[in-house]
Amino acid sequence: MLTTETETPSSDPPAPAGRRAARGDHRVDPRGYALMIAWHLVGAGAAVVMFLLASRGGDDELPGTMSIFLRIFALASFVAHAYAAFGIAKRQRGARVVSLVVSYLVFVVATVAVLHQLGAFTAIGKLGEGLSKAFVPFLVVAIGLIWVLVAGQIATSRPGSPAIGVLRRAGWALAAIGGIAFVVVSDPSGMLSALVDRVTQPITIGTLLIAAAALAATLFMWRRDVAREFETTAAQQQVLTGLAFLSPNLLGFLFFFAGPLLFSLVVSFYDWKTTGTGRSFVGIDNYVEALSLDVSSAPAANAGVEVLKPNYQVLAHLDWFGQHWVVGARDVTFWLSLRNIVIFLVLAVPLAVLPALVLSSILASQLRGMKVFRAVYFIPSVAGVIGVAIIWGQLFQSTVGWINYLIRRAGEILPFVEPPAEGHAWLSSSSTALLAMVIVFGWMSFGFNTVLYLAGHQSIPKELYEAAEIDGARTWRIFRRITVPQLRNTTFYVLITTSILALQLFDIVWILSTPQPGGPDNATMTPVIALYNEAFKDNNRGYASALAWVLFAIIFGFTFAQFRRDAGSSTSAGVS
Amino acid sequence: VSVRRKGPKATAIRVLTYAVLLAVGVIVMFPFVVAVSTSLKRNSDIFTYPPSLVPRTERTVTDADRGFENATVYNLAGRDGAYALVDDDVPIGEFRRVDGTGDVIAVAPDLATETDATVVVDGDDETVYLLAIDGEEVEVYRQRLTVGGLFEPIDGGEPVVELVNNATADKTLGPRFENFGQVISEKNVGRSLTNTMLVTIGVVVGQIVTSVLGGYAFARIDFRGRDKLFLIYLGSVMIPFVVLIIPLFQLMLQLGWTDNLVALIIPFTFTAYGTFLMRQFFLGIPKELEEAALIDGAGRFKILWRVMVPLARPAIATLATFGFLYAWNSFFWPLVIINSGNPDNGVLPLTLATLGGRSSTDTNLVFAGAVLAMAPPILVFLFAQRYFVENSASSGLK
Repeated sequence: MLTTETETPSSDPPAPAGRRAARGDHRVDPRGYALMIAWHLVGAGAAVVMFLLASRGGDDELPGTMSIFLRIFALASFVAHAYAAFGIAKRQRGARVVSLVVSYLVFVVATVAVLHQLGAFTAIGKLGEGLSKAFVPFLVVAIGLIWVLVAGQIATSRPGSPAIGVLRRAGWALAAIGGIAFVVVSDPSGMLSALVDRVTQPITIGTLLIAAAALAATLFMWRRDVAREFETTAAQQQVLTGLAFLSPNLLGFLFFFAGPLLFSLVVSFYDWKTTGTGRSFVGIDNYVEALSLDVSSAPAANAGVEVLKPNYQVLAHLDWFGQHWVVGARDVTFWLSLRNIVIFLVLAVPLAVLPALVLSSILASQLRGMKVFRAVYFIPSVAGVIGVAIIWGQLFQSTVGWINYLIRRAGEILPFVEPPAEGHAWLSSSSTALLAMVIVFGWMSFGFNTVLYLAGHQSIPKELYEAAEIDGARTWRIFRRITVPQLRNTTFYVLITTSILALQLFDIVWILSTPQPGGPDNATMTPVIALYNEAFKDNNRGYASALAWVLFAIIFGFTFAQFRRDAGSSTSAGVS
Repeated sequence: VSVRRKGPKATAIRVLTYAVLLAVGVIVMFPFVVAVSTSLKRNSDIFTYPPSLVPRTERTVTDADRGFENATVYNLAGRDGAYALVDDDVPIGEFRRVDGTGDVIAVAPDLATETDATVVVDGDDETVYLLAIDGEEVEVYRQRLTVGGLFEPIDGGEPVVELVNNATADKTLGPRFENFGQVISEKNVGRSLTNTMLVTIGVVVGQIVTSVLGGYAFARIDFRGRDKLFLIYLGSVMIPFVVLIIPLFQLMLQLGWTDNLVALIIPFTFTAYGTFLMRQFFLGIPKELEEAALIDGAGRFKILWRVMVPLARPAIATLATFGFLYAWNSFFWPLVIINSGNPDNGVLPLTLATLGGRSSTDTNLVFAGAVLAMAPPILVFLFAQRYFVENSASSGLK
């Protein structure tokens, strides 16, 4: 479980509670506190203004929800600022922590805002242009830095050698020359003048001042003598240090993960199209639309939509119990994609897992050359799915592709292989398109699974095999009676992770299916492609978000199964 | 399993084992071999049946005495020997025997002597010609006047005219390395390559910085709420990226980051997995190392930089490898966020997908691009295999 540790009290800046600093020695200038109080009062005022602006109602996206979020945020920052101001005046212990957190956050937000106003982030994208113009200098910089790294490695193995220092400096010099050449060749003058333009705008200067003030406030409150005066406890200081180290990660996590996740959930309850103007709350209508099915008995086999409820389209015809049934759905494409992905799962997961189980058992046997085979099998999973899909597209080519050619040759040699019809088009016939995706997926994934299984093999007690060998058990029997049962946990894990990957099938189909992604005739339509089309082709973002959450619910079922099993067995979910 | 046994049966099993392993190895490597071979082919050489793994080029021959230079060598249907094509635009008459027997005879039109006689073919009057075939004059009529090639036998002898359809180029091994240069400069793969490098460097460096700091905080700074926060981090791994795509796109739209490489970098510099990896590693470092430095009065940051980071090199290498593969190969997010009409902001998978898409031509160039895109991750994997294989295995099975 998670480890706890005791800190050496003397090691951290703040003194333990109850020990006052010697008065007169480290007395903090009271004007500093006055400035801090003023800073927080201004902050509280700004929060009030923000609250009022948010209450007026925006004309922007999702007015209701956004304004509620903004108001809560404003209220929270008002409370924090006000408490900090009050607490600093009273020298309350918690005030320093709150003040530091608030000031630091203001500093980060203001700095990011300044960088945003200066176009620093979009300039990162523009760097691509410079890099392509000045690729050779870039290579020189890279070589110089690698040189330095290598020299550093040598230095650790042979310390005290003066030649290494020279070597290292030469590396730095090379990198510096490359850097200068890079700047000259990539010619950033246009970017610089744009920067000067922006930096002189009042709003930029204003934000810059806020950032500077927040930085000053943070640094002031961080001081050791301030900590002493506020009698900050070791635990409080730990929280501050911990959050400081975690902050780059945590803020990014909140901004690019947690926030969007919440937003996605909210949007899924809206009829939210980017093309139209209407953005109305529709409750669970999106989910109803996605999941609605209607089954109706039909008098004749050729019955169609007329027997279904309005807005339903025919999904499938069934003949059960001597009665003809018509199955209809409101979103036929999504249901077809669900059907496809179930078929895909049933075919592709065994193809990606069974060979891995067998091969890992061979590779675990320490024969010579096993590491080479392991590496070779792993290559498809790192090569990059787009390149792989392009290759397979050529292999599946109907007239000159290798697959048809090899099957034809096999048909000539082996009596039981029936040669396919002349130039069978694997990808453009509905019957085999999904099968082709299964083959590519299996080919890509089994090597990775083999390595997962190899890790599982390491935990099988060797005595089991030795005992079996003494008993003279056959290889097949050992495999069935020892290897497979002992690898049960690994198999479960591999099945789950492969299924989760398979459920999100997108890239392979995107490249290989024809004439459009998901084709022919929706034969390879997958949930993620359906979602992509809804979101970015039809601009139906609200509905697409609902699809995403439906898909997530399905995936979560698999994750949850894994979690339950982990919790049940001795292996934990990762917190070791 | 039963490797230590001896005897003929054990040997047979061993041979069989290697045969199975090799067969799977061939299945794995064959598509890559096809890719490399196709990337070195001429486009005309790809759509031939039967498919071939050998990139071939047409053989050429130069004979200054007989006045041809770099002439392509052909084999002619029904004739032995190799012929050099010296002129591909000579007039050819296609003649048939008047009695209707035999094949079409394609010769230079002036070899046939016109006569006054006519013959009726399919209701039309055709002039009868006399043509010397094997020293014998034959009555023929002219079916068609067309153009063909003038072929010189390489070993000397009379030149012949022949329809180009009846000639097949004599091909020899000849890889076309220009494909790579061409795809880089003409198909914008060069720009995509540098863009992908930029994105990959940004993501890897960013992930290392945030993960080292975060992992250290989770492993070594004991603050209140730490463990709960860590569980939330762990749980976030379960959320599939599909759920985030729409809101992230909207966020990028608000920030003005669409169609910009920054959208591929900044959002991906924060990784729960990397933080987890670094935390696990830091937990394994003896606390005494750190405490000695703490007593010396060193700050937390200095300890992290001077003591922990040098020790954590293997973990950082693992993280870098994973980040590299992820950033280099990622396709879905670039597809959403980078406007495919703007080739300047393309990354390799995206450019390849457009290039090798449904309406693709220049298959050899597409494959050259694919090889360029696949080589770096494969090389990185082969070099960093140790870190990679060990941690793929342990990432979930801890």
